[in-house]
Amino acid sequence: MHSPTILKFAVHRSAGDDADPHLRREVADLRSWRVYYLEVGSTPTDEALSSLEAVLADPLTETVRSGDAALLGPGEVQVGYRRGIVDNEHDTIVGVARMVGLDAIAAKVSTVYASGDPRLAGFVASEACNPNIEELHETEPHYDTLSPVGEYTPMETFDLVSMTPAQLAALGRANGRSLDASQMEVIRGIQVRTGADHVSDVLIEALDARWSDHCDHTTWKALGGLLQRLIDAARATGNPNIVSMFHDNAGVWDFTDGHAIALKAETHNGPSAVSAYFGQLTKIGGVLRDILGTGLGADPIGVFEYTATGIPGTESVVRGRPDPARIAVETVRAVKEYGNTFGVPMMWSRMTFHPAYRAKPFALGGSVGLIPVADAARGVPEPHDLVVLIGGLTGNDGIHGASASSAGAAAMDATSVQIGAPLEGIKFRGAIGDLRDRGCLRAVTDLGAAGLNSAVGEMGDPCGVWIDTALVPLKTHGLAMWRILLSESQERMLLAVPPDRLDETRAVLALHDVRGAVIGSFTGKGSYRVTHGRVGEEEFVAAARRGVVPTGTDAPGTSGGVGGELGFDVAYDLLEWKPEPRSAGPTPEVAPPRHEWPPVDATTPASVAADTEVADQSFAALQYDSSVQGLTHYGPLEGRGHGVATGYYASRPLRASRAGIVFSTGFHPYLFDVDPVAAARQSVLSALVTQSLAGVARGDVCLCDNFYTPDRAPFSDEWLVAMVEELAGLSEWFGTPFISGKDSSAGSTDTAEGVVSVPPAVFVSALGKVADVSALRPEQWTRSGNHLVLIGPRTPALAGTAVAGDGCGGE
Amino acid sequence: MSAPSVGILHTPGTNSHVETAFAFERVGASARYVMMASLLDGTDRLDRYDVVCLPGGFSYGDHLGAGAVAGARLRWTFADQLAALAGRPVIAICNGFQVAVRAGLFGDGVTLTTNLNGTFRNLRHQPHVVDPAAGSPWLAGLEGATLRFPCAHGEGRFLFESADGWRPALRYPPGENPDGSAEDIAGIVTADGLTFGLMDHPERAPDDDTVLEIFRNGVSAAR
Repeated sequence: MHSPTILKFAVHRSAGDDADPHLRREVADLRSWRVYYLEVGSTPTDEALSSLEAVLADPLTETVRSGDAALLGPGEVQVGYRRGIVDNEHDTIVGVARMVGLDAIAAKVSTVYASGDPRLAGFVASEACNPNIEELHETEPHYDTLSPVGEYTPMETFDLVSMTPAQLAALGRANGRSLDASQMEVIRGIQVRTGADHVSDVLIEALDARWSDHCDHTTWKALGGLLQRLIDAARATGNPNIVSMFHDNAGVWDFTDGHAIALKAETHNGPSAVSAYFGQLTKIGGVLRDILGTGLGADPIGVFEYTATGIPGTESVVRGRPDPARIAVETVRAVKEYGNTFGVPMMWSRMTFHPAYRAKPFALGGSVGLIPVADAARGVPEPHDLVVLIGGLTGNDGIHGASASSAGAAAMDATSVQIGAPLEGIKFRGAIGDLRDRGCLRAVTDLGAAGLNSAVGEMGDPCGVWIDTALVPLKTHGLAMWRILLSESQERMLLAVPPDRLDETRAVLALHDVRGAVIGSFTGKGSYRVTHGRVGEEEFVAAARRGVVPTGTDAPGTSGGVGGELGFDVAYDLLEWKPEPRSAGPTPEVAPPRHEWPPVDATTPASVAADTEVADQSFAALQYDSSVQGLTHYGPLEGRGHGVATGYYASRPLRASRAGIVFSTGFHPYLFDVDPVAAARQSVLSALVTQSLAGVARGDVCLCDNFYTPDRAPFSDEWLVAMVEELAGLSEWFGTPFISGKDSSAGSTDTAEGVVSVPPAVFVSALGKVADVSALRPEQWTRSGNHLVLIGPRTPALAGTAVAGDGCGGE
Repeated sequence: MSAPSVGILHTPGTNSHVETAFAFERVGASARYVMMASLLDGTDRLDRYDVVCLPGGFSYGDHLGAGAVAGARLRWTFADQLAALAGRPVIAICNGFQVAVRAGLFGDGVTLTTNLNGTFRNLRHQPHVVDPAAGSPWLAGLEGATLRFPCAHGEGRFLFESADGWRPALRYPPGENPDGSAEDIAGIVTADGLTFGLMDHPERAPDDDTVLEIFRNGVSAAR
């Protein structure tokens, strides 16, 4: 038997190179190329090697170097994932190598950068290497194996009953956690009420995530049920189009002919501040999965994105973080790569440059989906249904993403950032639709913030659920139980599958090349139970008897069992924690308008047109696929040069029907500086007026709110409460309900210049429906000869306008 | 007489199969997805269908290069089925075109590489002119016509070293070449005209009867 051999191939372009233009602006002679490592179990034939090289490189434009010619040389540095993180391309490379006759075991991908500039290594380290997930080599690295290795780290236990308050507080803050004293008291209470000798790190970590602002909306709850105010307002509209609201992964709105449309938007501000590329990539992926996890699986038919960051040309105010220009460039690259690959049309995109977003951007992504009304209700698992995890492997990425993003970007490190892999997402998108239509799903949800912990914990409530983390397929070996539970590795979904539909489910997953593993079952016992390895599980034993799960504890692709550990088994009603109520004061007075404004003269039109809030942003939009699926009727770019952004987007989700959806947005970043309540009102009105002008009836429009507010700025709570009240009032007045939304209340960040806070703000998106898209009105100023008519009240103040200039809206 | 069957190859990462099937069904064909997993386990075959379509998307996530892996699969694993398609209409759209090129359907002297501007181009009303000498059943009756349908690709710059095994069938109008393709070539056909490859997306314009004529022609050629 041969010992494994590791081969290396470098793929060079014959002309030009792949170096990122943004990087080349700094190092003019920078070149880059991809390298592939392949671990093989036996000596390859020359024929097999040349066949593989023919696949690795385009024969006309690329050449392959192998052996010594591929090794790292002087003036070259190499960046790849750290040991233990499996590349997205791994399975593809191994599959291709086997196809051409190589005995392939594992693969690894890296990028080489070359330049005569002595700053090369430092430059690449700061601009093209994320040290928490990637490593940089200045000399050829030595690999014994490319397969992930690692030993399982046993769980830790703590006797909270014997701890002093100080010890409890320290434990709550240890290991990057954000648990406060009241939360630690609840956990101590769990130990007392269950009669246990200790609690595990698994329980502490699980509750740190469960009670984070991101997952539990603690700020909104503490202020007296703000979400309920929006729900009550929506109910008060009596709008018959509401199918579900604020209950599932997306709000659902009745459409036509037995179909409904789903609407959801989420922010990914913290991760995007750390790594704009991965943060924005997974923002799009996450919100698309939200749609897939709505009802019994909606299908995404549109995506939108909004990003606000600081002024390009200014430095990052948090050491080690990307500056605004880099965030802008990486945002476009990420949105393009995920959205285009996934195959969902871009409905609307926009970027704002605003100094208040210099510490932590506003990274908003949204999606619209289509689902039969019959499948639109959130699924409810039944006892003995199986917990099936599908999609990507679970790794060490995204740990503490939920609690860290709630705590502010300064608390995040890059391990809080997830690694996106759109191919996995698009594969299970097809599978979920098939599984839904075949009746294989009792429930489905996505894995996002707090990973399995959130998805399993929520799906299992109140039925009761048990999972075994040793059954979770891993890409990073040696993960502790709590890490498996909290990992935010991307492109994973959770299914509840009736036992008698498991075989069919497996067949569908195989047809779509989707990985799936049974990791537990719903119990009917009303508790949330997490184990690693066999712990006398009657469900496990029964499932193993039926061949549902491996009978061994060291199933291939898992981290193996160690005789079994019980992370926790706690009744759902013991897992509740309520934040300390706090009341907001009266709505603050708005500062009086300025007396002097920039003069309006002959130069004003040019300066307004050049303002980024007004200017053509087609440079980015032209890179986002807006026609895939063949549904698009109007927008987001029209005009002969495809450079005119439209006010709304319309499509025909049911190809054989003329019925359409209309999408519009409202957000006025500079007006929020001056008067958050007026700006919130203006945002709602902008979104609704656009719908009305297009020809959509008010009652046929639903809304989505995305609040992004500071937590350490004066009157944060007061402005938040006042904005929610404004939205609720407008919703009732117009009969137009908010059916979905999300709040991010961590908009204050510690920086070198002190705390930087975003303005209190809410982004509004609107989704309308029409019976026939032919009746929609395109914007009239797209044709010459039309008159422009200004209607409505006028104000002498220029606050929030482009004329006022960047940041001039507020004093 | 039953409707001609169209097999639409579905690899991991295919994302334009639904609208492609809809376009074919609008012209009277019966479209089915041919899953790569089914080809691999032998439960389906490409040469079972009257017409074969390689649709758009990002097969295998563009790992190892656009179309590289699916193209290699066709070239290595299903060479017999490709050979058996001789005499039948085949259309390869966008990523399907990249797959077809890497599979060698147009000879070994052509390639599709990164757009000249270095990035993706999304142009919903991109014009294309049918080459008067296209000589393809797919474009019968459309010679000289200007067809508008979406362009949406990042690696569609057509380059060639040899003119063996293909000829131009579709061109971008002068000054409206979105990707820097040589000689403004937007689509090509094989010597027999039966296999048609193009980067842009006629299936995304199902309400345009002139554009739809491409699909009608292809299906008619199989009758």
